[in-house]
Amino acid sequence: MSGKKFLLLAAACVLLTACEGAQKEDEKTSIRIGVSLYRGDDTFINNIRSVLEEKAKEYERQNNIKVTLDIQDAKGSQNTQNNQVERFISLGCDVLCINPVDRMDASVMIDRAMTAGVPVVFFNRQPVEEDMARWDRLYYIGVDAKETAVLQGQMVVDLYRKRPEDVDLNGDGVVSYVLLEGETSHQDSLIRTEWSIQTLKDGGVPIEKITGGIANWERSQASALMEQWLGAYPDTIELVVSNNDDMALGAIDALDRAGITRMNVIGIDGTTPGLEALENGRMLGTVSANKELYASAIMELAASCALGKELPPEYPLENGTYYWTPQEILVHGTFKENP
Amino acid sequence: MIGKRGKATLLLYMIFLAVLFLMCSTDLIIREPEKEIYQIAVIIEDSRDDNYGSFRKGMDQAALELNADVRFFTLYEKLDADQQMELIGREQQDGADALIVVPADEDRVVDALAGHQVTVPMVLLGSGLTGEGVTGTVVVDYGKMGELLGQKMAEHMDEHRTVLVFSDPSAQSGASRRFLEGARTVMEEEGILCRLVVRDGEQGFKPFTESLDAEGQVLILAESPEILAETAGILAELPDLSRRVSLYGRGSTLPVLNYLDRGLIRGLCVTDEFSIGYFSVGMAVEALETAGTRSSAVMDSWYIEKDDLRDPAYEKMLFPIE
Repeated sequence: MSGKKFLLLAAACVLLTACEGAQKEDEKTSIRIGVSLYRGDDTFINNIRSVLEEKAKEYERQNNIKVTLDIQDAKGSQNTQNNQVERFISLGCDVLCINPVDRMDASVMIDRAMTAGVPVVFFNRQPVEEDMARWDRLYYIGVDAKETAVLQGQMVVDLYRKRPEDVDLNGDGVVSYVLLEGETSHQDSLIRTEWSIQTLKDGGVPIEKITGGIANWERSQASALMEQWLGAYPDTIELVVSNNDDMALGAIDALDRAGITRMNVIGIDGTTPGLEALENGRMLGTVSANKELYASAIMELAASCALGKELPPEYPLENGTYYWTPQEILVHGTFKENP
Repeated sequence: MIGKRGKATLLLYMIFLAVLFLMCSTDLIIREPEKEIYQIAVIIEDSRDDNYGSFRKGMDQAALELNADVRFFTLYEKLDADQQMELIGREQQDGADALIVVPADEDRVVDALAGHQVTVPMVLLGSGLTGEGVTGTVVVDYGKMGELLGQKMAEHMDEHRTVLVFSDPSAQSGASRRFLEGARTVMEEEGILCRLVVRDGEQGFKPFTESLDAEGQVLILAESPEILAETAGILAELPDLSRRVSLYGRGSTLPVLNYLDRGLIRGLCVTDEFSIGYFSVGMAVEALETAGTRSSAVMDSWYIEKDDLRDPAYEKMLFPIE
């Protein structure tokens, strides 16, 4: 080897070593995550938020990496959320976790994140496919709405097969139900409604819809609707099918006011107040996403994005973008213990 | 036709415009005032922020208005003074320009200040500590708040003259301790017997509350917002008992206010949490801008009942909108 070539090779080796050293030095010891919630007073979102804060602390302790969570409430305003995203980016957040206000209008936030090169983990409210396909650093964590609905319907089917008298309360051979639906703009509302009822029909439960209404996931709205229905259809309703626990609790509030104790109410989410209602027998059952896993997935994915690492294999991503949290049926103890 | 002279004038004019444009776009003429973003770390004494809802709204509002980047930290364990001191050190190292601290242990903060471990302005909340190193204090006189509640409870009392005090000594904050002392002092002066009921491990206050079967009025005083909400939750499941129980306490968290609205809590002592958050960030920024200015604010307390929730003055304070 000539002297010139040797010198060149040596210089290349030195350069490579220096680059590697610099990369090691650049390893992050702290990450900052901007979290924007569509509405801080939503019970399910609040539950997820609490677990997420715990998971952030756990991650910090286990990995010795400082985690700063900036949590903001968009109060149902997409404009406010867009401003929050802008502020998160200007404050140097490494990754954003966004629970979008309007899942059809995520493009502004995506534009800003893409320009700044900040990855985004959406959760709970799924942006439309076209938006998600715009960048390979956009992710979504949620539950499979069809699976949720099928599980909700299945819990009534199971009970009906074992003890039909506990579902067909007046014994007339028909289960009369009312339906409480969530926001029309949320992707889960329609799917939950459609597949829950379809599962009841497929499972052989003789159902008849009395009425239904949109209560926008809210307890107070559901309570008002239920009160109205109890007046309009006295001694008729046997089952309340609700798209979430908060609305199911609203229906229970109306039942309590009317002094009605015998009516089946089913919800979705497994929120803390929902589980309390389940425990004291006011609610028949709910479908609960594993909130520990839900929040862990958000935390792990956000941290992996921020640190430029691979996502742990226990959180498999569908199409490299979507993570679906496992769910389970929770029913009131009496039905569980005496099948 | 433009002559040679005209062409030269036009060229000069265009050059002038180009120079003007460049000067404007490079801040040579119109200089944007440089805005420094202050890094402020808020470190509370709790492991959860449930009691800090309105405080955080005030804090965020001040951060937006005063150009501050406020980071909010909770502890791994409630009242873990060691971890709080670690966080104080870590945040200074990470470039915090100022600290806002709710001390888990006042003595440890005094030691840190005396040992010059705190090198940036520090605003203390809920603590009357003053002296070198303390830039500002926002104080709620919990002793006085307790006295106010004690007086109201004494007014509502029948011939039984006994109050059950629900307490959790293992997780008692300084605020809860001072609040109870204030209330007990007043009630003992009035000849009212205060019977201490201590949290029963995991089961909390449920077994005791469920066992209350005596006839007549029952008065319960909860030392903290957590115990107050927990007790109201228990009473919600016991409608017969809840009609005989008058529950009192302090705090303005949403669950507590909801229970007050539902009539499960008889009376509450509240303070303006939003303003505490706002003032604390304001004091920290003021200290940074005017180097070493010291300030303090003492917050008032009010006693409210269910009907007061609809009073516009209280409504604005208890349900603040940023």
